[in-house]
Amino acid sequence: MISSLPLFPVWFVDVLGSAIMIIISFVCVRYAQLLRRTDRDNVIWTYLLWLSLALALFSVSRSVGHIAKHLLLLAGHSDVWVALRPFSGSINSLTFVIAGSITLFFQRVHRINLQILNDKRAIEKASEELIWLNRNLEEIVRQRTEELSKSEEKYRRIFEGSMDIIMILDLQGRFLDINQAGLSILGYPSRDELTANATFADLIVEPPNPHQLMEEVALAGFCKDLECRVRNRDEEIRTWLLSLTVSRKTDGKVGGFEGIAKDITHRKKMEQQLLQADRLASLGELSAGVAHEVNNPLGMILGYTQLLLRNEPENTQDFQDLKIIEKHARNCKTIVEDLLNFARNAETKKGALQVNDLLREVISVVEHQFKLDNVIIETSLDSSIPALYADGEKLKQVFMNLLMNAKQAMEGQGQIRITTDHDSSRNEVAVVVQDTGAGIPAEIIKKIFDPFFTTKPTGEGTGLGLSVSYGIIKDHHGEIEVQSTPGKGSTFTITFPVTLDEQKDPC
Amino acid sequence: MTNTIRQKNYKVVKALLLTLVLFCSPKSAWALQTHPAPEGLYAHMLAHLFFIATLAIFIYWLQTTGLVRGKGWRLIQISCLMFILWNLDTFTVHWIEYTMTRDMFITTGLDWSHRLSMNGGWRSWLYYFGKFDHLLCVPAMLFLLFGLRDLYRQAGTTEGLSQHD
Repeated sequence: MISSLPLFPVWFVDVLGSAIMIIISFVCVRYAQLLRRTDRDNVIWTYLLWLSLALALFSVSRSVGHIAKHLLLLAGHSDVWVALRPFSGSINSLTFVIAGSITLFFQRVHRINLQILNDKRAIEKASEELIWLNRNLEEIVRQRTEELSKSEEKYRRIFEGSMDIIMILDLQGRFLDINQAGLSILGYPSRDELTANATFADLIVEPPNPHQLMEEVALAGFCKDLECRVRNRDEEIRTWLLSLTVSRKTDGKVGGFEGIAKDITHRKKMEQQLLQADRLASLGELSAGVAHEVNNPLGMILGYTQLLLRNEPENTQDFQDLKIIEKHARNCKTIVEDLLNFARNAETKKGALQVNDLLREVISVVEHQFKLDNVIIETSLDSSIPALYADGEKLKQVFMNLLMNAKQAMEGQGQIRITTDHDSSRNEVAVVVQDTGAGIPAEIIKKIFDPFFTTKPTGEGTGLGLSVSYGIIKDHHGEIEVQSTPGKGSTFTITFPVTLDEQKDPC
Repeated sequence: MTNTIRQKNYKVVKALLLTLVLFCSPKSAWALQTHPAPEGLYAHMLAHLFFIATLAIFIYWLQTTGLVRGKGWRLIQISCLMFILWNLDTFTVHWIEYTMTRDMFITTGLDWSHRLSMNGGWRSWLYYFGKFDHLLCVPAMLFLLFGLRDLYRQAGTTEGLSQHD
């Protein structure tokens, strides 16, 4: 049984351990310093330095206290140690608390460090991107500009090269942009001139309320293939097939319109001409049938009337009655012949002739009377036009009809302009008769070639003049067109194909 | 104006004099509480407990943050563990020392020749071996040193800390 144990080992370990603690703690501080120097912005390394310093303080305070205790007791100054002991213990306690307190800051420090590292990475990434952008910005901008330019060029080419009208309008219908085809059809030399002088609503003739149309499009979002009539700068009415879509602003509100329109004026005209030709052909067949049926009895009436007249003295009542019958029978005969001419069933005597000569002959016949009635005839005859293979008498009848109609359209005075022209590319001769008369209202212009259609009072005209002219022109494989503006006058354009001999005559 | 300043100065002087009189008359200083000898020991032992708690929390954080996957921080964690053991040891020794009587120490001769009576039974044995506390705190400091050294070496090549984030 051990009654006591020596305290020397305790004493030895205490003194030696205390000394080692001081040394190691200072080495720890040194390493913590070195660690911090590797990255002064790293708060974890700073934290470890603080922790090392706190533990060094703890080691020094504790070890110095222990060594001092042993030295003082060895030196026989136990009273001094008794006096110092409370201070040593208190300082030692404080160093625990300090070291512990610093330890408690670890989590906060670690979070801060993580945040800093994340921020650092984000900044480095942003910095790398910035550097990359800085180096490549010029190239990127160049590429994007080139792509944009190509895209712009492509769409601009489509825009400008389109044969249809492409336009961009604002909400009030003002033109923001329009392509060359649109300008050309509307008759404006530049966009500036168009935007300064007209809005979309100003140009629309039909539908009659263009603002209502735009409101409806704004509500519906679009309109498709709407047939509308548009007045161009030269007051010419064009027919458009219009499609409009709304363009919206970033807030979704309607900001304007984008429109594509196809000019179908020519197509419409062709359709109308075909319809009219078809209608007139039907009328021609009917007229020819009627004329044939009426012509024979009429010939009999006229023949027997003339036989009776030979045997009748001139001063008798019967002679006068027979004369009246003969006169009206002849009138009827003329009408029948006109109908046959309209139906192109009349006999023609074609030969090579100069249209200009025919016109001069007709003008010479009527010119004197026209002058008396204050109607001036101007001519612009193309001397280079080739000879036509045609029936001269019938063509003179056509020209006479047109001139008489033109004169009758004048109210008191006016001017008739006759122009001839040769279109070598189409090998056609054109005769244009233009007057400054009252013009033809739009509602009757389709009917003017119909047989027996007339605006003259009863008894003044049979309504067969233009019908007969139409028939004669068609018999020569020609075309007749009329353009008229009420109040300003009418223009009749006749075109004949150039054929010089009978073999080439398609009929 | 001058009179107003003088009146204010008088008031300050009066207040100071009253405070001085109160401090110099300690007859009824009931607010002052005395702290006898055991409180120092208790404070010291509580500091040990506080130190243990903070070190335990530190180890917990090292685990949860995943830092211990790195060698340096793992060594620091071991250092903390050793310090906790040291704190437990010293806490125990302080407590036993507080309950021991003077006659348990045979203090004839010089300091290093003193002896410890083993009459206290297990408490004497616990006290004797507990006094070798440097066998715990010196290794604790060493582990801290090794940990710091490892972190320093890693920081020389890479970001030591960021490796373990």
